[in-house]
Amino acid sequence: MNADTKPRFLSTDRRVREDKRFVAGSGRFVQDLDRPGMLHVALVAAQHPAAKIVKIDASEALAMEGVHYVIDGAELSAAVNPLMNGLDTPNVRRFPLAVGQNRYAGEWIAAVVADTRALAEDAAERVKVEVERLGFLTDAEKALDPESTPVHPEHGSNLLLDRTFDWGPVEDDFARSDETLKLRVTWGRNSTVPIETFGVICEWNPWDEVLDVWASIQMPKYADQIARALKLPGNAVRVHYDVDVGGSYGVKRGIKQTVLAGYLCRKLGRPVRLIEDRLENMRSGDAHGPERIFDIEVAFDRDGTVNAMKMRALDNAGAYAGRAPFQLGKPIGAIVGPYRINSVQYRAMSVTTNKAVQEAVRGFGQSPTNYAIETMMDRVAAHLGMDRLEFRQKNLIRSEEFPYLIPSGSTYDSGDYHAVIDKVLATADYAELQAERDRLRAEGLCAGIGIAACLEPSGGNSAFEPLLNEKNRTSTWMEGCRVNVDALGEVTVAIHTTSSGQGHETLAATVVGEVLQMDPDRIRVVRPDSLSSLPGNSPVGSRMAIMLGGAAANAARELIRQAVAIGAHLSRADPAACRYEDGTVVTPDGTVTWDEIVDVAHRRFHDLPPGTNPGLTANFIQQVPTGTALPKDGKVQMYPCYSFEFHLVLLAFDPVLAKPEIRRYVIGHDCGTVINPHIVKGMTLGGIAHGLGAALLEEFAYDGEGQLMTQSFLDYLMPSSHEMPEVEIVKHETPSPLTEFGQKGSGESGYLGAPAAISGAIHDAVSQWGIHLNKLPIRMSAISDAIAAAEENA
Amino acid sequence: MKPAPFEYLRPASVDEACEALASDPDARVLAGGQTLVPMLAMRLSRPSILVDITRLADLQGITETAEGIEIAAATRQAVALKSDLIARQVPLLAAALPNVGHPPTRARGTVGGSIAHGDPSAEIALAATILNARIVYIEDGEEVEFEPEDFFIGPTVTMAPMGGLMTRVIFPKKPAGRVGAGFHEIASRRSDYAFASAGAQVVLDDDGACVQALLGIGSVGDVPVAVDVSDLAGTRLTDDDLKGAIEAALADLDCVDDLHATATYRARAAKRLAFQALATARENAA
Repeated sequence: MNADTKPRFLSTDRRVREDKRFVAGSGRFVQDLDRPGMLHVALVAAQHPAAKIVKIDASEALAMEGVHYVIDGAELSAAVNPLMNGLDTPNVRRFPLAVGQNRYAGEWIAAVVADTRALAEDAAERVKVEVERLGFLTDAEKALDPESTPVHPEHGSNLLLDRTFDWGPVEDDFARSDETLKLRVTWGRNSTVPIETFGVICEWNPWDEVLDVWASIQMPKYADQIARALKLPGNAVRVHYDVDVGGSYGVKRGIKQTVLAGYLCRKLGRPVRLIEDRLENMRSGDAHGPERIFDIEVAFDRDGTVNAMKMRALDNAGAYAGRAPFQLGKPIGAIVGPYRINSVQYRAMSVTTNKAVQEAVRGFGQSPTNYAIETMMDRVAAHLGMDRLEFRQKNLIRSEEFPYLIPSGSTYDSGDYHAVIDKVLATADYAELQAERDRLRAEGLCAGIGIAACLEPSGGNSAFEPLLNEKNRTSTWMEGCRVNVDALGEVTVAIHTTSSGQGHETLAATVVGEVLQMDPDRIRVVRPDSLSSLPGNSPVGSRMAIMLGGAAANAARELIRQAVAIGAHLSRADPAACRYEDGTVVTPDGTVTWDEIVDVAHRRFHDLPPGTNPGLTANFIQQVPTGTALPKDGKVQMYPCYSFEFHLVLLAFDPVLAKPEIRRYVIGHDCGTVINPHIVKGMTLGGIAHGLGAALLEEFAYDGEGQLMTQSFLDYLMPSSHEMPEVEIVKHETPSPLTEFGQKGSGESGYLGAPAAISGAIHDAVSQWGIHLNKLPIRMSAISDAIAAAEENA
Repeated sequence: MKPAPFEYLRPASVDEACEALASDPDARVLAGGQTLVPMLAMRLSRPSILVDITRLADLQGITETAEGIEIAAATRQAVALKSDLIARQVPLLAAALPNVGHPPTRARGTVGGSIAHGDPSAEIALAATILNARIVYIEDGEEVEFEPEDFFIGPTVTMAPMGGLMTRVIFPKKPAGRVGAGFHEIASRRSDYAFASAGAQVVLDDDGACVQALLGIGSVGDVPVAVDVSDLAGTRLTDDDLKGAIEAALADLDCVDDLHATATYRARAAKRLAFQALATARENAA
């Protein structure tokens, strides 16, 4: 964008166009779709965390009227390929239904197909499964023991990944530092829990030999994975992207569900729908996120300079590999957070256990890592007797240091962390906030201030894949966009993905409108199916503002080039002497109107410049701005853009009841140029609510028998509007030099720092007792019990 | 999450409802459905017949009789919450009701249904226990009455007669004197199942001395319990008086441990909430 042109539509207070249909209850979700003759699936779930499947007797179920089929893992696995593994772990094989044995409680053992979902559930109860129980484990540290019961005996151990990276002179930095400190923190298994569970409809068209798929999906390379697993040509899977997705934040993966439904619809010659109910979703869908133990050792000087960090992250992947271990990879791109830390050793470990499979969740592992880093910063400050804020300010990267290369190989594009923090402190009146905390303390409450500074890496090329798996040669994670002008002169933009609330239609229309200087409300946005789409990678990793925004802008620019060429030719002018302005081409002799250009492009070949094809249309496939090379020596540029957020929280609670109530929540947020402020605000508020849940409430907890205790919203506690505080968002814009308009990602904002900030505030509130609550979620009873124990020992 | 098949019946009279309930041991009453319907969906409850009583006029309404304040079993919680009669005559129940679920669940949920379900964290059940309300069933055409202490025997287990139908709950009217009530509970989310709850009612004489004090604790154990704080009678209900009585009354409180709250937490929280409830009751009586 030209620095002297003020944006017309970008960053302005424009409505989110998708909101209208959602607010009116007129979204089009999988549940709203019907296909003639459609059948319904219910699942038979494993009772035990690990058991050999001796016999499955479906005769009683099949005898019921309206029941069409019962399939087990033996039949399915003989017909389909195993689901994709991220790592090179070929013996950790996964199919949609358990084969031979199940590996977690709730795992799908068989599927029943019937006229209705209710009937399928009735029949599923009558499928008799005879099993022999096997040993199991749920604890990641136990899984490290080579003698532990292997979840996949063929793999030989429970270890999926154990990589140690040394970036910079770690040992030297430790040796030269005044002091070191060790800590351990644990991130509990939580997730995003969208209101809509995963759902899919598959329909096989035998005449075209095409599998049509409607799904509530957010999964990169979804169609490819379905085709591979079902042994179909890539162009035999047609995913319909014009389906609304009722929330995701990573967990709408849907591969196993779609492979199962895809197989069944071909087998039965009828469309098949599988919509998970909440139980299926929570215990055996794609619902669970990272669960991670961090062991950190940090080296620093007495003046408050942090020199080096050793971090071991032990991740509990659950029963299968999938993409979960890659969630240890993303944080490598921001492994020092916003701080100048000279060297880092990072040991990434992932193990299998008999828990549900871990899938991608908002931030892809970054929020747990930010929590670990920020807890470390609090502990070091406390150890040194320094103010937590000053200690951070001392170690933050300074604005004049950008672009800033971190030890693990990524260069941060831009930022002004100190400015953002100063704005937040001014907005919150930090001195007054501290005084308020002290007043609350004087009333007998525990009151604390929490602060967290962290980054949101965005728009990457999935560089953690080749970094953690040498057989993987991925270096692009492109996104395509098509802009077409019809014969009546109207503009249509094609985007090639589903959306789960990110507002991509608004994004694309705003960007194209900005470039074409045209009211975005006039611009139609469509979603062709996957066979009609340009290459893309779905909305993951906070990438779409950067990547779809870039593709849309560049396609629109190409359209302008075409229009200018036509206008110049009509006026017999040099194209270089002409320019595009408000839908017209301005030539040295006057202007050529939009209608005239459209007329030439669509009807008057004789007036087109020689060698020009008719029509006014442009495709652009955007490469990741910094995605140029594969990793080398364990280093890689992981993400192009780095958004920054700074959280400041005041909370208080009664020392006995210990229910943290947030009294003030201020966040400073810098995601570069904002394309639509409402979308960014919504992301940030939702992210903070999500982080509040992760900090205090939400956990997929298993008992000693390997059973999931939190299988529904009865026990999996999500914050409601009552628990969500008023949030003040302080905006700052440091444009990225790498993107079209200076935009960065914001899809994970809020969530990336809220858990750290809230945990920090609780620790400040109990600091008089020196209590450490080292595991999230921090439950009320843990706080109260710890205070009582400290009082008793005092 | 689809219920197992069941028959649905909407009887035209209490007699017809009783007949249907007696006809099949697996027949169940459907009132507000705020607990039962999710249990049906999860197949944790598998009735043969659901007898929907919510449209029976005889089971709706709040009336004052010589015996007390009678709340017909299918009276919505929202209706009870708005009742002037309850506010005037059963202040402890009035204090408990805002804590019951959320506005949407109170719009459907019934007073009798909450008691019949026997959840140890149910606020109405705790108020009934503290005030010793009478729970009235029809069994084989005869009315049978239960005292809460006998009625609640375990988590969601009650002495409700097989095939019986609860018709009403009779709360005693507030005693003479200056009466105040207090109700406090704690959960990790507002209106969630409480980890601990406490209700209290005190009666003061004209001098401000305590004539009677009642206290009960819910949510911490298998059933709501009324605890003995009769030693407060005759005191001025100072903070120290309250603390002393609570320490004595709750010394042996049985508390359960679960994922969300430890037993030690519940015990500590119960005492804190008991104090708050008594203190609120004291303020309201003043």
